Amino acid sequence: MGEANEKAAQNTQEGNWDDYIKAYYEKPASFKSWSGYDLKEIYKPGDRPEENYEQNIADAGTYPYTRGIHSNMFRGRLWTKREVVGIGSPADTHERLKYLSQHGGSGLNTIADVTYEMGLDADHPWAVDEVGLTGVNITSIKDMETLTKDIPLDRVSWSLITASTASSVTMAQYVAVAQNAGYDVGILRGSIQNDPIHFRYCGFGPACPLDLSIKLGSDVMEYCTKNLPKWYYTTVNMYDLREQGITAPQEVGYGFGIAMCYIDELIRRGLDIDEFAPRFTFYVSCHVDIFEEVAKIRAARRMWARLMKEKYGAKNPKSMQFRFAVHTSGCSLVPQQPFNNMTRIAYQALAAVLGGVQSLHCCSYDEPMCLPTEKAHLQALRTQQILAYETGVTNVADPLGGSYYVESLTDKIEEEAFKVMKEVEDVGGMEEAIRTEWLDRQFESEAVQRQKELDNGGKLVVGVNVFTTEQEKTTPLGVQKISSKSAKQQVEAVRTLKQSRDTDRLNDAIKRLRDDTNDSKNVIPAMIEATRASGTTGELLGTVREVFGYPYDPMETIKSPFNF
Amino acid sequence: MKKKLSTDEMVKRLLASDRRSAARLITLVENEMDDHHKVMSLVYPHTGKAMILGITGAGGAGKSTLTDHLIGKFREQGNKVGVVVVDPSSPFSGGAFLGDRIRLQSHSQDDGVYIRSMASRGYLGGLSRATYDVIRIMEAMGNEVVIVETLGAGQDEVDVIHIAHTCLVLVTPGMGDDIQAMKAGIMEIADIIVLNKADLDGADRSLRHLQGALTAGSFEEGEWMPRVVSTVSAASKPEDLQGIDELAATIAEHQAYLRKTRAIDQVKYNRVEQELGLIFKDELQKIIFKGLKGTGKKREYIESIIEQQDDPYSVVKEVLNTYLLTGE
Amino acid sequence: MATKKKIKVLVTKVGLDGHDRGAKVVSSLLKEAGMEVIYLGMFQRPEGIVKAAIDEDVDVIGLSYLSGEHLIFTPKIVEEMKKNSVDDVLLLAGGTFPAEDIPTMEEMGIDKVFRAGSLTASIVDYIKTNVEE
Repeated sequence: MGEANEKAAQNTQEGNWDDYIKAYYEKPASFKSWSGYDLKEIYKPGDRPEENYEQNIADAGTYPYTRGIHSNMFRGRLWTKREVVGIGSPADTHERLKYLSQHGGSGLNTIADVTYEMGLDADHPWAVDEVGLTGVNITSIKDMETLTKDIPLDRVSWSLITASTASSVTMAQYVAVAQNAGYDVGILRGSIQNDPIHFRYCGFGPACPLDLSIKLGSDVMEYCTKNLPKWYYTTVNMYDLREQGITAPQEVGYGFGIAMCYIDELIRRGLDIDEFAPRFTFYVSCHVDIFEEVAKIRAARRMWARLMKEKYGAKNPKSMQFRFAVHTSGCSLVPQQPFNNMTRIAYQALAAVLGGVQSLHCCSYDEPMCLPTEKAHLQALRTQQILAYETGVTNVADPLGGSYYVESLTDKIEEEAFKVMKEVEDVGGMEEAIRTEWLDRQFESEAVQRQKELDNGGKLVVGVNVFTTEQEKTTPLGVQKISSKSAKQQVEAVRTLKQSRDTDRLNDAIKRLRDDTNDSKNVIPAMIEATRASGTTGELLGTVREVFGYPYDPMETIKSPFNF
Repeated sequence: MKKKLSTDEMVKRLLASDRRSAARLITLVENEMDDHHKVMSLVYPHTGKAMILGITGAGGAGKSTLTDHLIGKFREQGNKVGVVVVDPSSPFSGGAFLGDRIRLQSHSQDDGVYIRSMASRGYLGGLSRATYDVIRIMEAMGNEVVIVETLGAGQDEVDVIHIAHTCLVLVTPGMGDDIQAMKAGIMEIADIIVLNKADLDGADRSLRHLQGALTAGSFEEGEWMPRVVSTVSAASKPEDLQGIDELAATIAEHQAYLRKTRAIDQVKYNRVEQELGLIFKDELQKIIFKGLKGTGKKREYIESIIEQQDDPYSVVKEVLNTYLLTGE
Repeated sequence: MATKKKIKVLVTKVGLDGHDRGAKVVSSLLKEAGMEVIYLGMFQRPEGIVKAAIDEDVDVIGLSYLSGEHLIFTPKIVEEMKKNSVDDVLLLAGGTFPAEDIPTMEEMGIDKVFRAGSLTASIVDYIKTNVEE
C-alpha cells in the first residue's frame, strides 16, 4: 500500500465512516411499547372493535371522562405548576418555597424527609444523622410555623407530601398553625398525600403497618371531608408503585386496589360515596413512552368513572372524575450524561399535559445525583412554563383523542389494567395481597426484569447502554449540599422545646389522644389539640401506635416518655 | 486476597471463641479447602457437648422468625447460641440469595449469638456432611446450643436434620393435603411438630388432623411421642405472638427425656453411624474418580454399557477392584 | 482437592433510607451470576453490618445509598471495619451520587462506586476480578 493510500485509510478510520453509514440505515431496535406490548406499523379505523363515542369516550367534561374532567381543560385553568421542595431545616425549605413562588410557581409543595415520614422527632437517635437530607422534618408546631411563616394560608394552595401514617400528624400540625393564626380552617385549600398503605413499599414498613395505615389514613380523609371541604385529603400514590419497576397497567391496577381499601373503610364508617369521593386524588407517574403514558391516563379516567358509578353507586359527577397530579419518572433519569435528563423530563411532562394533568411536578435533571440545586429547580419549573406558554399544547382538550393508535392503546391499557385488578381479586383482594407479600413479589420480579432489559439492550437508554461516554467528573450545575448546621440547630431546638413545655397541658392532650384512639374515635381533633400543646410527631404517633399494640417507636429504640 | 493465619492458629483462636476464626474455618470446610480434614480432626475433641436443635419446614412456614424467638429464649437461659441457616442454591447459576438473616435481627448486637448463612450448593458429599462440620465448629466455638434451620424439601435436608437431638418440623394451616401427605415423613423425623401461623383460618382443623395422626401412631411404653405446639411466630405486634414459651418448655422436656432415658446415646450413635456412611461414600467416590481421571476409561465404560457389551454392576465391580486396591 | 470457592457478598442499606429496590435487584442478579448473596436489607447500623460481614466471612460488602446519606455513613462503616481489622473485604457502594462525591467516597475507603445506570456486568466483572486473587 502506498503512503498516500495508507494516509487516506487512516483518515477514514479517524472519521469512523462505518458508523455513519450504519447509522444512516438504522431501524429502531424494538417495536414494543415501554410496558412491552407489540405495536402495529400503523393503526386504522378497524383497529378498535366498535367505536361508541358517547359511551366509551365522550367529550371532555362528560362521563366517562376519557378525554378529561373539564370540558375546556386548560382554557379554563392551566395545570398547577408545583415543584416539590424539601431541604434541610423548616427555615431552609421556607426559603426555597419563596424563591420558586417569586419565579412563577403556582402551588406550594413541600415534602417530608425520611425521619418525619418514619414518625421520628428530629432528636431521635436514628434521626439526628439524617434530618433534612431528603425533605423537611416537622417535629413540632414550631417547625410548621417556621415553614408557613408569612404565607397567607387562606389564599394559597398547599400540597403537603407526607405519605406515611405521619400524614395524620402533618394534617394536625397544619390545621393547628392555621387555627393559631386565626384562619377559619374551612377555607384551607391544598392536598395531603396521606397514602400510608402504599408507603410500606417505599421502605416505611415500620411506620405503616396495614391496620394502622387504614385507620390513620381514613381518619384524615374523614376529618377533612367534614371540616376542610376544599382540601384534597389523599393523593393515592400510583407514582411510587410505578417507580418499583412495574408496567403502566400495573400502576393503574395496583393503585386502584389501594384506593379501594380507603374507600371501603370510609363507607364502612357510614360516609356516603358522594360525600367524600369528590376530594379523592391520585399521584401518577409519567414515563418516557409518550403515547403509552397518555393512553394510561385516559384509561385510568374511564376506569375510575365507571368504578365509582357502577361499583360504588356514585351519583355526583365529581365523584367519578379521576383527578391527578403527575410526577415525572425519577427512575427513568440517570447520572450518565446528566443534561439528557432535561430532555427526558420534557417529554414526560408533555405526556402529562397531553393527558390532561391537574398538577405537575417536573423532576430536576439532577434527581439521580442529589437534591435539586436552586438552578436545577428553576430549570424544571421553566420546562413547565415552556410547555404552558410556548408550545401551544394547552389550546385544545385531549389533543390525541381520536387517534386510531392512542384510542386503541387506551383500550389495551384498560384491558390489561382490569386483568391486573382481577389478579389482585384472585389472591383475595388488595389487603390480602399486601399481607401475604404477593404484591412485594410482583414488584421484585418486575424490577429485576427492568434491569435485565437494560443489561441485554431490550430497552435502550442513551448514556447507559448506548452512546456511552466517559463518566463526568463534575455535576454541570453544581451540587446541592445539605447544611448539617441547620439540621443540628433543629435537633437542638427540639430538645429545648421538650424541656420548656407546659407538661400538664401536654399530658392531658396525650391522654385524650390515647382515649380517643382506644374508643375508635377519629384521632385528628385530639392530634390537633396535642400539637397545640407542643406534642411532637413521635409522641403523637407513638401514643396511637401503642394503643394499636405496636412499639411506641417504629425503630424500637426509645420508649414512651408518658407513663400514666 | 484473604489474609492467612495458619490453620492451627485459627483453631486455637476458635477455641477461644474468636468469631472471625470461626468464620474463616467454616469457609474452609464449606469449600472443602486443603486443610479441611485437618481442621475437623483438631476441632473434634472439643465437640459433643452442645444441644443441637433442628428446625425444618416448607418455605414461608416461618422458620426464621421462630428461630429468632428461640434464640431469645436460649439466651435468657444463659446459653451461647450458634445458628446455621441453610437455603437452596440456584440449580442454574450455582448462586444463592440468603435472606434469612433479616429475620434474625433481634440479636444482631449480641456477641453471644453467631449466625451463619449457608447455601445448599451441589455438595459432592451431600449437604449434610458440610453442615455436620459447620455445626462442630460452632460447638468448638463454645456455643451451648446450635440451631440448624433447613428447608424441608429433599432427602438431603432430612439427612441434615438427623444430626439434631431435638427436631422441630414446622407446618402451617392451609397446607391441607400437604399435611396429609407429609404425615408419614413428619412422624419419622419430628420430635415436636410446630403448627405455626396458628392465627390463620383452618388452624383448628389442622391441629385436629395432626393430633389425630399422632394418636394413631404406635409408640412403645416410655418412648417419646411427638407433641404438637401451636405458635404465631411473626406478628408486628408483640401481643399477637403465641406459643413461644410453650415451645421452649416442650423443647426442654424433650431434652430431659433424652437425658433421662439415655435415648441421647442412641441419637449420638445414629448420628455417627450416618456420618461415617456419608464420609465413606464421599471419600470412596473421590478415590475412584481420581483414579479414573485422565485415563479416558470413564467414557469407555459408559459406552460399553450403552452398547450392551457390559452391564453397570459388572463395571462397578471392575472399577472397585482396580482403583480401591491400587488407589491411595 | 480444593473446589472453587464461591464468592460471598453482603448487600445492605444503612440508616433510615427506604429505597431498597436497587439493593434487591442487584442481589438477585449477583445470585444469577453465581454468587452467594447475604441480603441484610434496610435499617442497618454500621456495627451490625460489620458484625454480619465477619460472621458470614464475606468477600464483598455492597452498600446501597439513595438519599444523600453516603457521606455520613461511609466513614462510620469504614471506621467500624478498621476497629475490627476487617481489611480484606471489598467495599462497594451503589446508588445516586453526584460525580464530585465519588473521589471523596473512594478516599473514605470505598473500593468502587457504581452509580445508578450501571449495568450488571460491570458490577459482576469488578467483583470477580478483584476477589479472585
